[in-house]
Amino acid sequence: MGFEFSVITESLPALLAGAKLTWIITILGIVGGMACGILAGLGRIAGTEALGEKPHGIYKPLTVLIRYISSGYVETIRGTPIIVQAMFLYFAFPMLVKAVFDIERFRIEALTAAVITIIFNAGAYIAEIVRGAVISVDKGLLEAGMSLGISRFQLIVHVIGPIAFRRMIPPLGNQFIISLKDTSLFIVIGVGELTRQGQEIMASNFRALEIWLTVAVMYLIMTTVLAMTLRHIERKMEIF
Amino acid sequence: MSSIIELKNVCKSFGDIEVLHNIDLSVQEGEVVVVIGPSGSGKSTLIRCINCLELISSGELIVDGIRIPAEKRKIRQIRLEVGMVFQQFNLFPHLTALDNVAFGPSKARKMSKSKATDIARDLLEKVGLAAFENKRPDQLSGGQQQRVAIARALAVSPKVLLFDEPTSALDPEMIGEVLDVMQNIAKDSGMTMVVVTHEMGFASQVGDRLIFMDEGLIVEEGKPGEVMKNPGSDRLKEFLGHVKHH
Ligand SMILES: Nc1ncnc2c1ncn2[C@@H]1O[C@H](COP(=O)(O)OP(=O)(O)O)[C@@H](O)[C@H]1O
Ligand SMILES: [Mg+2]
Repeated sequence: MGFEFSVITESLPALLAGAKLTWIITILGIVGGMACGILAGLGRIAGTEALGEKPHGIYKPLTVLIRYISSGYVETIRGTPIIVQAMFLYFAFPMLVKAVFDIERFRIEALTAAVITIIFNAGAYIAEIVRGAVISVDKGLLEAGMSLGISRFQLIVHVIGPIAFRRMIPPLGNQFIISLKDTSLFIVIGVGELTRQGQEIMASNFRALEIWLTVAVMYLIMTTVLAMTLRHIERKMEIF
Repeated sequence: MSSIIELKNVCKSFGDIEVLHNIDLSVQEGEVVVVIGPSGSGKSTLIRCINCLELISSGELIVDGIRIPAEKRKIRQIRLEVGMVFQQFNLFPHLTALDNVAFGPSKARKMSKSKATDIARDLLEKVGLAAFENKRPDQLSGGQQQRVAIARALAVSPKVLLFDEPTSALDPEMIGEVLDVMQNIAKDSGMTMVVVTHEMGFASQVGDRLIFMDEGLIVEEGKPGEVMKNPGSDRLKEFLGHVKHH
């Protein structure tokens, strides 16, 4: 059994469809994960000096609560495998809802489960990236901002944000690539992404070499596009 | 003349350690007060209390009619009227010199971008850096950065400027340019200034009053020339001996 190029051309449409789905899940995961990550990352340091001055009065217990919730989220996600998270959301969560709310026929689409899983998973790791970058911002810059009389919101958006964001780009690129590759694990809940497509074609024609080589190259192309995009942003922002 | 800053029996503690003890101080509008004292004597803490970067632990602080702690909600208003210049410049590294200076007018005073930029241009010109408006902080010398920082503080038109050892992080050849700018501000605009510095030449030429702090207390105060000529305490005598040899 030699290397048959025709195997690749024949399976290309199905693999490209899988790659497209992988790409869509990844982009949704990155966008949603950024939103989650920024919220949870800032949440973990709410009420600390990393975000300006410490709050007073009723805000104090509120920030403690926000910190606990954010940390609980991050630690739960980091402490469990993504494959377990996907299976829990797809298989176990509907049963939980049925049991608790007594709803018949509640189910989550596999693709929906995949997207939600990747968003929350990426979000937890991005939260740590955000937190790390924000606490690395020189306190003197925060004091300079506060001395001008700006609000905490302005301080976060106009001082902390831009400075921290530049430091976040390299680790973010890393996380985006990890998330893209993590979508291959959704094979376990039957999402027709790239790895699943490869697996199905393989099961019918047993051409492991051609199929897995093609799949690998497709992943490589997608991760390269992600990496190059981030490098481009990084250059435009001139890291200091 | 009325006092724009007033500290009444102010104490400041960090944890269990009290670093300012029962400070009474009032600064008149247009006055230039120079604060000297050994390291750790509480100079920075004193001026950081004035713009509420540190909250006083007890006593009362009145800045431009706003009373702390009674009116804690108006801290931002105090900061709009009290600018600060730091030892380490603390320019925003992601912004050009012009945008650093325009930051306050546009964000804190909510002016239009073009108006803020006009103000910033004027001030950069005033501190002699018109040609450097598009440079980022890391492309400027220390002296230039500090002059931009002074322009940034001035840009929100504060009534008071606080300086925390503005020349201590500078190479000796750059100290003069920064002191000149400070002197011009004091002379031209009649700005109220509280300056922590060990530049005794500046203190005697520009200062209206000299305050000597030691161990969290104001030990001596008076006209700079007189205090320097006739120090009342051994601590000040010793301290003046030290700074003169610098
Ligand atoms: N944020 C802080 N936390 C704890 N101690 C502090 C803090 N800031 C200043 N101190 C202490 O307060 C004292 C006065 O410090 P500071 O006002 O910086 O003195 P100076 O500016 O005269 O050198 C010092 O003993 C210093 O260690
Ligand atoms: Mg100091």
